[in-house]
Amino acid sequence: MAGKKKMLDWYFWRPKLFTFSTHLVLLLAALIIASPIIFALIKSTQSTAQISTYPPQFVIGSSAIENYTATWERYNLGRLMANTFGVAITVMVGKTILSLFAALALVYFDFRFKGLIFIFILVTLMMPVPVRIVPLFKFVCSLGWGDTFWALTVPFLASATGTFLFRQHFMSIPTSLVDAARVDGVGPMRFLWRILLPMSMNTIGALAVIEFVYLWNQYLWPLIIISSNDNQMIQMGVKQLTVSGPAGMVHWGISMAGVIITMLPPLIMFILLQEQFMRGFALTEEK
Amino acid sequence: MLALLVVSGFVVAQEKTQIIFWHAMGGTRVEHIQRMVDNFNLINPGIEVIVEYKGSYQDTLNAVQAAAIGGTVPHVFHTSQIAMQQLLDMGIIVQAEDLIEKYGIIIPWEDYIEPALSLYRVNGRQVAFPWNSSNSILYYNKTMLDAVGETMPREPTFEDILRIGHKVMDAGLAEAGITWPMHFWFFEETMAELGVDFVNNDNGRSGYATEINLLDPAAIKIMEWWKQLYDEGVWVNPGRENWAQARQNFVTQRCAMMISSTSDVNLTENAAYDGGWEVGTAFMPIPEGYERHGVYVSGGSLWVSADHPDEELKAAAEFVVYMSQVSQDIEWHQCTGYFALRKTSLQALELEGWYELHPNYRTAADQLSETKVSSATQGALIGVFPEIRTLTEDAAEAVYGGKSVVDALTEAKGKIDQALVDYKELMGG
Amino acid sequence: MESKFPNRLFPLLILLPTLLICGMFLYYPVAQSFSWSLLRSAFMGLRTLYVGTQNYVRLFTSSAYLHSLWISIVFAAGIVILGLSSSLAIALVANRKVRGARIYRTALIWPYALSPAVAGTIWLFLFNPTAGVVNFVLERTIGISPDWVTSRSLAILLVVTAAVWKNLGYNIVFFLAGLQNVPGQVIEAARIDGAGAWRCFWRITLPLLSPTAFFLLIMNIIYAFFGVFGLIDVLTKGGPAGATNILIYNLYRDAFMHNKWGMAATQSVILFIMVVGFTLLQFRTTGRKVHYGG
Repeated sequence: MAGKKKMLDWYFWRPKLFTFSTHLVLLLAALIIASPIIFALIKSTQSTAQISTYPPQFVIGSSAIENYTATWERYNLGRLMANTFGVAITVMVGKTILSLFAALALVYFDFRFKGLIFIFILVTLMMPVPVRIVPLFKFVCSLGWGDTFWALTVPFLASATGTFLFRQHFMSIPTSLVDAARVDGVGPMRFLWRILLPMSMNTIGALAVIEFVYLWNQYLWPLIIISSNDNQMIQMGVKQLTVSGPAGMVHWGISMAGVIITMLPPLIMFILLQEQFMRGFALTEEK
Repeated sequence: MLALLVVSGFVVAQEKTQIIFWHAMGGTRVEHIQRMVDNFNLINPGIEVIVEYKGSYQDTLNAVQAAAIGGTVPHVFHTSQIAMQQLLDMGIIVQAEDLIEKYGIIIPWEDYIEPALSLYRVNGRQVAFPWNSSNSILYYNKTMLDAVGETMPREPTFEDILRIGHKVMDAGLAEAGITWPMHFWFFEETMAELGVDFVNNDNGRSGYATEINLLDPAAIKIMEWWKQLYDEGVWVNPGRENWAQARQNFVTQRCAMMISSTSDVNLTENAAYDGGWEVGTAFMPIPEGYERHGVYVSGGSLWVSADHPDEELKAAAEFVVYMSQVSQDIEWHQCTGYFALRKTSLQALELEGWYELHPNYRTAADQLSETKVSSATQGALIGVFPEIRTLTEDAAEAVYGGKSVVDALTEAKGKIDQALVDYKELMGG
Repeated sequence: MESKFPNRLFPLLILLPTLLICGMFLYYPVAQSFSWSLLRSAFMGLRTLYVGTQNYVRLFTSSAYLHSLWISIVFAAGIVILGLSSSLAIALVANRKVRGARIYRTALIWPYALSPAVAGTIWLFLFNPTAGVVNFVLERTIGISPDWVTSRSLAILLVVTAAVWKNLGYNIVFFLAGLQNVPGQVIEAARIDGAGAWRCFWRITLPLLSPTAFFLLIMNIIYAFFGVFGLIDVLTKGGPAGATNILIYNLYRDAFMHNKWGMAATQSVILFIMVVGFTLLQFRTTGRKVHYGG
């Protein structure tokens, strides 16, 4: 008798309904969000004939290997990805070093114009690439860096965001550490390397993810500054996927294969560093 | 003795003059051009041509200008003919005649077909080296037309296209009658056919143009036909300047007809062969009752840049001579569909029976040889051509979106005239 | 705060690379944008003519530019409103304590790693009239097969939807982080006092989320103005007839297709002023924060 009553009890079902509806909503949302990619994945395995049939088919096709090798070769994806990795690593490392240096200088030293210099760096936040792109293009070309690795890296080595974040982070570190270091006769560089660096890993990790994704996804700057296909970045390969193809037509299976390949590195990076990313940004919430 | 030979051979190898050549021909043409260049390097051991594909015409031109800023312009480069006025005004090139005079190279202009020469003739002198020349033609699915009992006339009219388009659609054989990349070039070719200059001052040839003839009755008639085709569902829009999708539409038999460049002959014939149908070609359609004047040659040409030491310029000149030779001309034509530019080539191909086997290649050649010489068919010389293309294509899209033809063309004309005047002012003209 | 290292020269030395790069590659180009905006130019600056404020006057009286400005605002509004509301809704559900919450979270935010160009390519295919799937579905269900390539309003809809989709993951991440900062005890206390779920959300959660929401507002506006360039270049190229020709795309066209560097510089200056104004507004308002103790 008591058991039967329990089954009709709203308060018995309510939490179960809650959990069920939560799962349902989340599952649906995840599926809807993933559906374009699933579509791309399926189509990347189909041959041109299969893609041309009407009504469209949603079965895994037979041309996966052909499509993926064709896209890899035709659009030079290997080279483009290698270039982009090279640029990304260089900029990530360079930016981190320069920002750490800048933050070190701004927090642990006193010198004239310190405040002014900090503002000088901070104001560059208002200078995104699109706002200066034409004179930047001309300047870089006049240095003879048109179509080179330098053009893709050097202009991006300074970072107001990085400097700001590291500065914030350093300021939250107890000053007793600096005093101890000075007593021990540790110089600023060793201080940076031995003490500050290990403590800043979360911020570095979060910045690394953002920088990598930003550089992997760079479109406008490589579009205008690089003209040789061999020096080009990966997103320009993506652009080619819909512009040209074998025999002057676009083969969607091959294009979709190209898309899938292109999105893998940042995706993997993102999934691996997800925790750092979330933690690194939780910190910035305490501004 | 042997050591001396080795050393001298080494020294000779070191002294190769390096020439940089940039072009805008993509796809399978990249390997093709590489072969031509390798062959040149082989027969000219003192010269090394380094060839690079730089992307589209616009990309290549931008790359050239960017290189100019950095002081390293390529010796030989390839651009679209619409960049001609810009290159003449930019001051970085050596005009063809000047190059010929200075280095005593031989380019037999008399052997060239007149339309190709007249396009690149400014103030009576040849300024560039024609290379890939084309014009626009009509492709049609012969098999499909036969099925509805239609034959495409050699010189079709607007009305023919409408009728045939509706017929194939009604018979359920195709989703749409015709397609072409949404590109203003086809409009310009049709205006040339009707004998109307695209811009004033003799199509920009007797002085900087200051007005565009978009409100000429001919222009209005063409735009109205474009609008009618779209409104009646006969023309399907593959996208702005989207050649790939237009070809796709035609080759998958989604459309019965396509207007495209003559350089697509190879492509469409192969696809038709694979698909088991027959492709035919015809002249550009014009409205009924009008006289045909012919088309203007489009495509691109080779330019030589000036800022280089003497031996390099001489080597560049040699390379240009090589590219213009008959054997290269014939090979290029057969592999692509771009014209054979030289009369000798045409004769050789006729003798071979090439045109008998490949009548579609003939259509473009005929359309060209039947062209009457005038400023309209010479092709417009405009410094702001890219901007004009953007504004006119915007106008076409506005028309498809419902705007009236006259309104759209008037608005475009206003902006274009301003751009033309601005350019003239900027050049101090 | 007083614990410092003694050198006075050393800090300047290690600051030097940053300062040099900021000076040469950021400040200098921006300054040049200002001076070039007074010129009419051709051939990448090889030929110039001083025209004073003519470029500015022309831009602000040109219907095409004003339309570009308008459409950029429309895009930003669409991306912000649609993007933030949908990602907030999803984040709220994803914040609940259910089994596999972490897996769900990953599954919802991973599109953040996609590039705008990749998103554009996929959506271009989805909406392709022959090989794509959207027109097929629409035809079978509603019986219409719209011409996405030619219709202005459809093109705008298409780009906004693709842009929102791509950025959902980013928004969800930050909303989740923000939601985690909403102390559970406050909500519980309110519930015990008898407040309904909606009131709890409206009066407690939302205000506590406002810093996050504001941050996302800024980031999404920047995304809408600058980040979607690749998406537009692949999907519509600013068309049809300028329907998706946002300010940055118009600038790119004028600079690298029409070779009008003077006009492009003018547009850069206007964009710069907008960014400055925006940033100042942002700094002004982050002063206000909602905080329930702690």
